[in-house]
Amino acid sequence: MRVTKVLLLALCAGAIVYGQLPDAPGRDTVKRVCGACHPAEVVLAKGMTREQWGSIVSNMISRGAKGTDAEFAQIIDYLSTNLPPKAPAATAGAAKRPRRPSNLIDEAGAADKQIVDEEAAARGSAIYKAQCVSCHGEQARGTAKDGTDLVRSLIVLEDRNGSKLGPFLAKGHPMQSGAASSSLTQAQIEDLSNYLKQEVDNTLRTGPYNKVLNVLTGDPKAGEAFFNGAGHCNQCHSPTGDLAHIASRYDPPTLQLKTVFPQTVAFGRHSMGAGRKPVTVTVTTASGEKAEGELIEMDDFNVSLRDKDGQYRSFARGPGVTVEKHDPYEAHEKLLDQYTDKEIHDVVAYLETLK
Amino acid sequence: MKRIFVLAACLGACGVLLAQNVEWPTYNGDYSGRRFSQLTQINKDNVKSLSLSWVYRVNGGADPSAAVIKATPLVKDGVMYFTAPDHAWAIDARTGHEIWKYQWSSKGGIHLGNRGAGIYENWLYFETPDCHLISLNRKDGSFRWSQSICNLDQMYYSSVAPIIIKNHVIVGVSGDDLDIPGYLEARDPETGDLQWKWMSVPKPGEPGSETWPSEDAMEHGGGMTWVPCTYDPEMNMLFVGTGNPQPVIIGKGREGHNLFTESIVALNADSGKLVWWFQPSPHDTHDWDAVQTPVLIDGEINGQPKKLVAQASRNGWFFVLDRKTGKDYVSTEYVKTNWAKGVDAKGQPIPNPAKEPKEDGALVSPNQGGAANWPPPSFSPQTGLFYVNATRAFSIYYVYDTSEKAEGWGGNDQGGWGESMLQAIDYQTGKIRWSHKWEGDSVRGGVLSTAGGLVFAGDPENNFIALDAKTGDPLWHANLGKGVSNGPMTYELNGTQYVVVAAGDSIYAFVVNR
Repeated sequence: MRVTKVLLLALCAGAIVYGQLPDAPGRDTVKRVCGACHPAEVVLAKGMTREQWGSIVSNMISRGAKGTDAEFAQIIDYLSTNLPPKAPAATAGAAKRPRRPSNLIDEAGAADKQIVDEEAAARGSAIYKAQCVSCHGEQARGTAKDGTDLVRSLIVLEDRNGSKLGPFLAKGHPMQSGAASSSLTQAQIEDLSNYLKQEVDNTLRTGPYNKVLNVLTGDPKAGEAFFNGAGHCNQCHSPTGDLAHIASRYDPPTLQLKTVFPQTVAFGRHSMGAGRKPVTVTVTTASGEKAEGELIEMDDFNVSLRDKDGQYRSFARGPGVTVEKHDPYEAHEKLLDQYTDKEIHDVVAYLETLK
Repeated sequence: MKRIFVLAACLGACGVLLAQNVEWPTYNGDYSGRRFSQLTQINKDNVKSLSLSWVYRVNGGADPSAAVIKATPLVKDGVMYFTAPDHAWAIDARTGHEIWKYQWSSKGGIHLGNRGAGIYENWLYFETPDCHLISLNRKDGSFRWSQSICNLDQMYYSSVAPIIIKNHVIVGVSGDDLDIPGYLEARDPETGDLQWKWMSVPKPGEPGSETWPSEDAMEHGGGMTWVPCTYDPEMNMLFVGTGNPQPVIIGKGREGHNLFTESIVALNADSGKLVWWFQPSPHDTHDWDAVQTPVLIDGEINGQPKKLVAQASRNGWFFVLDRKTGKDYVSTEYVKTNWAKGVDAKGQPIPNPAKEPKEDGALVSPNQGGAANWPPPSFSPQTGLFYVNATRAFSIYYVYDTSEKAEGWGGNDQGGWGESMLQAIDYQTGKIRWSHKWEGDSVRGGVLSTAGGLVFAGDPENNFIALDAKTGDPLWHANLGKGVSNGPMTYELNGTQYVVVAAGDSIYAFVVNR
């Protein structure tokens, strides 16, 4: 609904209008942190689960989003509370399809693009299966034997509720049943149009099929050997200690991401920051004074930390000032240059046994 | 150029001449893409006193699509011109005072960014996300004409800055959503009519078609022209980087090298005809557009004078080629990567199939953001160094679509860790002469070098920094609260040199007060 409203606004104004982010705790953080690189309001086009928002935010961090753990946790809370998945349409046809988490890459295409009516698409799907699928294929992407790829078809892409499809079919086009294509009613053509637009949306990079399929391809025994051997994982971790029941806490794709990138990927069923260890610094000033604490910010010129009493402190870096950084994830960073994909999959397969 | 050399030569001696103006009339300052300025008023010795002259804030965030300025401003006749999606501004280059503002009513498209404008005589040109080339009157920002340059329904959009060469407005297109071919066009500066069009993908039977499995794959093969080209007037050749093939992540269905995606191509400026090509990422499956500015260098290789073109590519490799023939002199990593098995006879990296995206994931470096991205690098003929803000990052690349005919993306990367640094690369060898490591994990923002012995760049912590071009030592900085979001530039107006940079929705101009 929100998307529709935004697009309607855009149509009326003749310009891109994003609408307002819902007024709720965390909105300012979303505006500031996300808005540093792109209009924060683009998130309005999406609706996703906490895990999916977590994955998006994780990706944004790896692309340079700047914020504290607490801010990212707040952003994920805000997004998952205020922009949850849209309810699937209550039709039999729609219910069988994967849930649609979002509407493509937000703005791709024209502002007046057709917003898929899920119920019409379900009816259109039935017509498609009866009249079109044998040539144009299960996903409307064409088949090797014959049949145009309809997802990439200009007629389909430029169509609005049958505006191009209708005249095309009225001219006569072979159908599976042998019936004349000109016999399709306007309502049927609109249903077909909605179905085809849905297949276009499904093909886009934020469509419902864009998800990790299976990461459990490794050998748990080899993974256990790596864990206790070449990987040196057991120097910090224990299957009966910190990793006990880890596989019940995370689905396998999240488990794999957390294994490889624990410092930036701390999502899943628990909010970001839970269990993530902070980077700490020890600053020694020219006069010999020492300060220790959690690193807040550091560049070539300054460093700031929060000490064990919760006090924020900042120091100018320069001659005589030393900064020692302690990164609890250093061993993981070293592994990035060392381990093979097989070793990663083996370790994940092993961790998956820790139910 | 000659006038500029004279200016540099008599610095300090002929004060009156110093009052000349030195402009920045095109995206990279000149056609070479070096982003090197001969200006020396701001230099190694006085940069410590660089201070703020003015700030222009576009709108305080009222219009989200203009909230981040990625354009490199142009300066001509004392006026600064810059853009954001659907917006163009003219401000006084001396004061930041707004002269006019233009807003286009959008019909859609991705409003991710706009790289800037082009100038021809009294006219300004820029592209809009809804696939239009707009021409405005420079005097008052009044609308002159618009021309459609791509099909919005196919999910093309526009973000690149037009480059004006002779009587050609060179325009590129964007769009990575639904398997469409990229192209570059020359348009008439008076009417906007098409003069020529070069397709990034060949037609059956044409050279390059042997690197695709089918006509269908070619027709939908991608290769967007995201970044402004460079130009050698003597050879009358354009140097253009092309984007990733499509579908983006899935390589199945487009077996082969996929020419001329992921390529540096030389085109005749008057006909758009292909002269030579070199492909940094054959059969790319990682979204590593090879569009980074092809920088023209007049230098030496093994003691022989050569006309060269160099690119620090998104895939982590640095290339130096002969400008006339495309012959490769240097192919080397400028950050460590893990995806190539070596180079082929032509000097092009050979992708390791093991590091193509996989159903269960492949750990790849660089990540999708790349070792470098669209922000422009710089080359200083004074130091012989090529400067690029670089990121060494890892992510896991997945295949999501295992169906018979995957389209669109068919996969993506997830997760990530990285580190970032400013790399100073010796163009003759590709060796890193110095590397200034930043504390943060990823860096964006362009680079400027000057005859004052300086390099200007942004770091990941929102600082705008001047470094010693020879050593990489930071000499001056200002924290702008937001990260450097464009390529910094410089100009001289009535004897004062300005260094200008954008961070978020604001433009900052710095001078040495006298």
